[in-house]
Amino acid sequence: MNLRKILTKDVITNDLKGDTKEEIIDSLIDLLASAGKISDRESIKKCIMEREAKMSTGMEAGIAIPHGKSDAVDELVGCVGIKKGGVDFKAFDGQPSRIFIMTISPVHRTGPHVQFLAEISRLLREPDARQKLISAGSDEEIFSIICG
Amino acid sequence: MTHLMTILVLQLAMIVFFAKILGWFFPRYLKLPKVLGELTAGMAIGPYALGSIYLDILHGPLFEIPAGGELAISPELYGFAVVASIVLLFVSGLETDLPTFLKFSAKGSIVGLGGVIVSFVFGDLATVLLLPSVHSFMDPAALFLGTLCTATSVGITARILSEKRKMSSPEGVTILAAAVLDDVLGIVLLAVIVGISKVASTHGHIPWAHIGWIALKAFGFWIASTVIGILIAPKLTRGLKRFKSMDMIASISLGIALFLSGLAELAGLAMIIGAYVIGLALSQTDISHEIMKKMHGIYDFFVPIFFAVMGMMVNFEAMSSVWVFGLIFSVVAIAGKMIGCGLPAFLAGFNFRGALRIGCGMLPRGEVTLIVAGIGLSSGAIGHDLFGVSIVTLLVASVIAPPLLIKSFDGGSGYRKKFGGDEAAHNVQSIELSFPTPRMSKFILELVLDSFRTEEFFVQQMDFGRDIYHVRKDTITITVTLRDNELTINTQPENEHFVRLLMVEEILVLNDFLGGLEGMKSPDMMGAEIMRGLFSSPSAKSDSDASGDKPVTS
Repeated sequence: MNLRKILTKDVITNDLKGDTKEEIIDSLIDLLASAGKISDRESIKKCIMEREAKMSTGMEAGIAIPHGKSDAVDELVGCVGIKKGGVDFKAFDGQPSRIFIMTISPVHRTGPHVQFLAEISRLLREPDARQKLISAGSDEEIFSIICG
Repeated sequence: MTHLMTILVLQLAMIVFFAKILGWFFPRYLKLPKVLGELTAGMAIGPYALGSIYLDILHGPLFEIPAGGELAISPELYGFAVVASIVLLFVSGLETDLPTFLKFSAKGSIVGLGGVIVSFVFGDLATVLLLPSVHSFMDPAALFLGTLCTATSVGITARILSEKRKMSSPEGVTILAAAVLDDVLGIVLLAVIVGISKVASTHGHIPWAHIGWIALKAFGFWIASTVIGILIAPKLTRGLKRFKSMDMIASISLGIALFLSGLAELAGLAMIIGAYVIGLALSQTDISHEIMKKMHGIYDFFVPIFFAVMGMMVNFEAMSSVWVFGLIFSVVAIAGKMIGCGLPAFLAGFNFRGALRIGCGMLPRGEVTLIVAGIGLSSGAIGHDLFGVSIVTLLVASVIAPPLLIKSFDGGSGYRKKFGGDEAAHNVQSIELSFPTPRMSKFILELVLDSFRTEEFFVQQMDFGRDIYHVRKDTITITVTLRDNELTINTQPENEHFVRLLMVEEILVLNDFLGGLEGMKSPDMMGAEIMRGLFSSPSAKSDSDASGDKPVTS
């Protein structure tokens, strides 16, 4: 699938602010809000935190994929943030998370929502790709690593 | 009139009883397809067997062959079979994955196309060479027998592939993709053949220029009505949605299918083309799944009637003269599919073993074969003898195919070494989950299938009544199987992330559901409250009610 339909340079950052799970999620929401992708921050945060409460989206190898469903969006929105120093995101392997991919999908619309998350996760299978993302010097660099 | 209707309802009653019982018995105890059970039921109780026995109460047999009619059953009963065939093809159209058909793998296309062309030519030529009464390749009888060799009933294959866990193997994916093309081509071919045979029966011989025109007209009608259908389907569904009732929407859709079937017949094509086209058009809308669900009841009632009625038309006496031809024809039909599908598969990179598997997978025949034979018989293009040959072909292929297919999957890879890279991409990843009870596993299955649909995947149940599903979108193919308490999802490694992420979300939904249950009152207490007072005397009960001690069932 074409990741560029969802990911643009203004929803990517290589310098995510925050030292806790909640602060990281707030920063990712800020990123989407400043790009004009969302307006109702509170309901977006609510759906993301509810999903985290069920099961942490901190995966393995420093990757976390916070996501949720909300009526506050009309179509899938997503962003990518890198926290070079890592944050405890309650990952399965207990390691700090460094690469964050967040998506919010509409509740009542069909579309390749999980497929989008899966596509990026698949790109990050290779340790090399993960390392490149973490050490990327600019947002443009991250964009070209993910979107090719 | 009353007597006529009495006979009709009694006939229908017998057909429903026997078709349903044998349709249940065959797969359960003989490991044979349900359709064979229903067909056998028709043969056994039909006018050429038990149905011919004189019954005092009716002053005649239950199934009396109408005098002077072309068919062995009454026109009223045949009417039910016609409606059943429309329901059958409407559902087939609804189940068709058109995007896959339009752009699916090259392998599937050439295998499907090869199978249709070679088996048609083999069937047609065998009829011309072996039957002294047939002189030309364009003789309606030869054309009909050729056409009925082309159809594939992929339900049986899908079940075996699922049992052998090979549905997402390169062979499995190729067979399932080829079968889509096979269905569509078979129906188009039928449209053309019906047109040609009508000309033949009018003029006695076939003028070649006219054939070209008829073929073009049939193909043109099919393409035009399909394109128009697909274009207006979104508007049509928007209009239908105003009724805000799926029952209404499904019934009106079936009404449109019946209407278009009539129009197709008026245009000189087979009725079922109209039903198939409207099903195909609606398959691309967001209500196709809901319509299909609503059609289950009608399908389950009507379709066994169709198969049983087809069985009733088997005239054992007329067949006795063409037994040998029937058996040879069956072998030719099998060879046509094996070569027609196997050879292109071999050329596309499969080894001999893989090509054999694909050939075997395309062997089973069912619904479409019977429809072609039925139309041939009712239009007079084939007689009772050749109708019998069609049934023998269907029986032989359907009985031989399952063991052959199972055996063919023994051994290693079906790919040639030089295509090894491709094979690596086709290694199947299996995700298995067990649940404590069948109900819970069914619940999670529905959740998973719904979330595939939400991701805009096309979900197709491969075998009515069994939980084997083929899930497709673009080049992604996933199979979902539920057996007892075990849910298995097979897919290529590149889709594993997607499937796992999707599964996790659904497990969390299940978890929410279970959490919600814990929040309820204890089931024991709820049960006790429902039952309280059930065995008290009325006076004691009214006292208890007056005291405000009423059952609470929230």
